[in-house]
Amino acid sequence: MSTAPGQAIFRDVPAPKRPSLGRQMWSHRTDYYYVAPAILVMLIVIGYPIYYTIELSFFNTPASLALSDKTFNGLDNYVTILTSPVFWKVTWQTVIWTALSTISAFLLGLAAALALHREFVGRGFLRALLLIPWVVSAVAASYVWKWLYHSDFGAIGAMLVQLGLSDQPINFVDNVNTSLYSLIVVNVWKEFSFAMIMLMAGLQTVPDTLLRAAQVDGASPWQRFWHVTFPHLQGVSMVTLLLLAVQNFNSFIIPWIMTGGGPAGSSDIWITHIYQLAFGRQRWGVASAYAVILFIVMMVLGYFYVRALTKGEDSRAAS
Amino acid sequence: MTAMELSAGAAKRRGAGGWRWSGRIFLTFLIIFTVMPMAWMFITSLKTGFAAMQYPPQWWPAEPTLENYWRLVDPNGSVGQDFLRYFWNSVWVSTITTVLAVLVAVPAAYAFSRFRFPGRNFLFFAVLLRNMFPAVVFLVPLFILMKALGLVNTHGSLVLTYLTFGLPLAIWLLKGFYDNIPIQLEQAARIDGATRFQAFFLIVMPLSTPGIIATSIYSFIGAWNEYIYAYTFLSRHDQMTLPVGIQRFFSENATDWPGLMAATFLMSIPVVVLFLVLQRYFVRALTEGAVKH
Repeated sequence: MSTAPGQAIFRDVPAPKRPSLGRQMWSHRTDYYYVAPAILVMLIVIGYPIYYTIELSFFNTPASLALSDKTFNGLDNYVTILTSPVFWKVTWQTVIWTALSTISAFLLGLAAALALHREFVGRGFLRALLLIPWVVSAVAASYVWKWLYHSDFGAIGAMLVQLGLSDQPINFVDNVNTSLYSLIVVNVWKEFSFAMIMLMAGLQTVPDTLLRAAQVDGASPWQRFWHVTFPHLQGVSMVTLLLLAVQNFNSFIIPWIMTGGGPAGSSDIWITHIYQLAFGRQRWGVASAYAVILFIVMMVLGYFYVRALTKGEDSRAAS
Repeated sequence: MTAMELSAGAAKRRGAGGWRWSGRIFLTFLIIFTVMPMAWMFITSLKTGFAAMQYPPQWWPAEPTLENYWRLVDPNGSVGQDFLRYFWNSVWVSTITTVLAVLVAVPAAYAFSRFRFPGRNFLFFAVLLRNMFPAVVFLVPLFILMKALGLVNTHGSLVLTYLTFGLPLAIWLLKGFYDNIPIQLEQAARIDGATRFQAFFLIVMPLSTPGIIATSIYSFIGAWNEYIYAYTFLSRHDQMTLPVGIQRFFSENATDWPGLMAATFLMSIPVVVLFLVLQRYFVRALTEGAVKH
């Protein structure tokens, strides 16, 4: 005799709230076949490395990466990092890099989205043109900008001289005071159009009738933007800012190719610093401990990211 | 209409006109900012090594030449041999990665979109969270793993690691597309006697083709542009992909800038063309998950 799932529980327990987790999972067992391949791949290439990074961060591993010779040294790697002045310098530079890149790219993208929102001839073409930096590889972008910034033959330096803004070509990248900011310009160039398309999509959700009603009521363009458009953009702005912040925090290619973190570490950010520690100086334990700290920071950011996303999910489910 | 009302109307129009003009001026500057580096890349690639190293620079080469491009695509020269090899390595790695990512992501995304199994949210956010972590967190252990598996200096190491970022992204993008396909369509098919798999293959798959195309382009471009793993795992020249391979044009002392610019230009063409042809899908896929209509 066959019984429907849950029937037995009904007989034995007076007021069951819901079937047990195991039973629920069993009744949904075929659903897992769909996700199993994905989960398997993720476990191998994500779960294992995370576990291994955490383990390595508590060990002193020889430069040759001979794992059998690694020795446990407790929290030494973490102490080394947190007491080193370089850590705080790099952290500060990472904060500047992430905050300035994110805010600039967002504001530039927002302005571009607003300028492109109205229908006009060539709008689609312009949008595609502005998106190209975002599509080309960061490697190509880094080399081009390195050439533009070149201290002797760079186009930007020469242009400033010809426009009379400078007496001689400026050395943008090989200067401890300007290198980080020069790289931020490149980064903003590369990613502002990402913010642009996200916000353009967001602008389409602003009801036209509301804007027209505001116009009829005599609202100025600024008032219309601030009181009608902007509130509608809040959700997509949060997601865009978070994605940009995460991406910038994780930047590697632009600083690595353009300056390698130099000169004198003035454009070093976390990821380039970790890479240098691991693959440049073979300090595997310290680099792993750095990665673990980074991991924790990202978890905090990730919490807000997920919250911003689920908020959207809930509102969609409700509508 | 009184004079006062008239002037107020004119002022309003002027105000709107002012906004429009500032918008135009802003767009003009933005376009110059965006295009100038790409243009300079192309202009430099048309110069000889001598013409590139001049101050003030030739804003347009006095004697434009395609010499740098011929050198790159000449299968008989050493530069051409290397460049073409990097190019095919990139094509090969990106294609395999894309095919695998989409094959694995389609069922997973469908399940995340349709089924309500326990742990669904947890697993989905675990997938999403992967995108938050930089390659560096995974780099050392993956390097050790690849060494242990004997995959260092092979394309297998790249395909495997590219799946770590390609797969979560593909699942996320595809889920957005499946969410927008009304479940009623499948239910109707089921009532008409289709099995779950038939409903999926006959109803959902055809409708999600744009999503699959967009996801594929996205994966392809991601793999094509990837640098950090390729830079770490590959040291043999015959295995290198383009982003790593073009380093050979660069050295601190005697960089062949025109050659490098020609190489970066050729490297950018496939992704830019793919993007321009299919940008409608591409933009939609990207914004699908973030904007709720």
